[in-house]
Amino acid sequence: MTATEEVREERAGIRHIPGQPDMWFFVLFESLVFTSYFCVYLFVRTQHEKAFLQSQSHLLPGFGALETIVLLTSSWAVARSVQHARAARYAESQRDALLTAGCGLVFLALKIVEWIRLIHAGHTFTSSEFFQYYFFLTGMHLLHLLIGFIVLGVLVNQLSTANKRSQETVETCATYWHTVDFLWVLIFALMYVVR
Amino acid sequence: METAFDRRLFAAWLVLVAITLLYLWIDHSVDHGGVLVASAFATVAAIALACVKVRIIMREFMEIRGAPPFLCRITDFWVVLMAAALIGTYLAGKAVA
Repeated sequence: MTATEEVREERAGIRHIPGQPDMWFFVLFESLVFTSYFCVYLFVRTQHEKAFLQSQSHLLPGFGALETIVLLTSSWAVARSVQHARAARYAESQRDALLTAGCGLVFLALKIVEWIRLIHAGHTFTSSEFFQYYFFLTGMHLLHLLIGFIVLGVLVNQLSTANKRSQETVETCATYWHTVDFLWVLIFALMYVVR
Repeated sequence: METAFDRRLFAAWLVLVAITLLYLWIDHSVDHGGVLVASAFATVAAIALACVKVRIIMREFMEIRGAPPFLCRITDFWVVLMAAALIGTYLAGKAVA
């Protein structure tokens, strides 16, 4: 489906699934898998509350909030990229896709800095149960983020080549990136904020 | 070129950032002088607010607002399911601890 057809459908008031429907199966599946991890973590946490709180005190919530805001900004940028592409403003769309990747790189750098700080302070995968969950969940999320960079590469490539442009692919790539964002929103709440 | 859609996306981003900062206030209000204190209020509030953020991301950024009604209902149900599973597991864990 071309961007012009998309605009026509929107004007006609016909609703459509953003991106490929298969991606939505992935979104729902991934959120269910992560929810099951979170449930195990929360249950174990309630059984060893003091030990978890003691380990959690070594995290910096302000740093986690900064990481969250950076990733939310990347999500905002990719949402703008989709809207620009729909309106055939491909230069603006590509600029916002690159801004998304830039924010993703800043998040990656912040996460690496945070991991290094914790590991230097003696908090590793085997040092406590809390940090076992922390490194597992943030590591799984980082893996999704790295895949996200490949997805953004596809997006930028699509936008830069006139005969490759497909609004459906643009939306599919954006949907994946938003999934990376909302999974982090949950991880931030469960690792840094819960008491 | 700024459009009404752009302004709506910016408003959604602002709300998401505000909720993120609200978390810091919640933690600050339950902890005692930098010492972390167990709090069912902070935990349930954190999970509930995270699920509100997920719904905002889905509706505004992922364009579920303009999707067919069945996808709106499925994603809403999914967010409620996640919130119920997380809060339910936490409360069940507290009950048996």
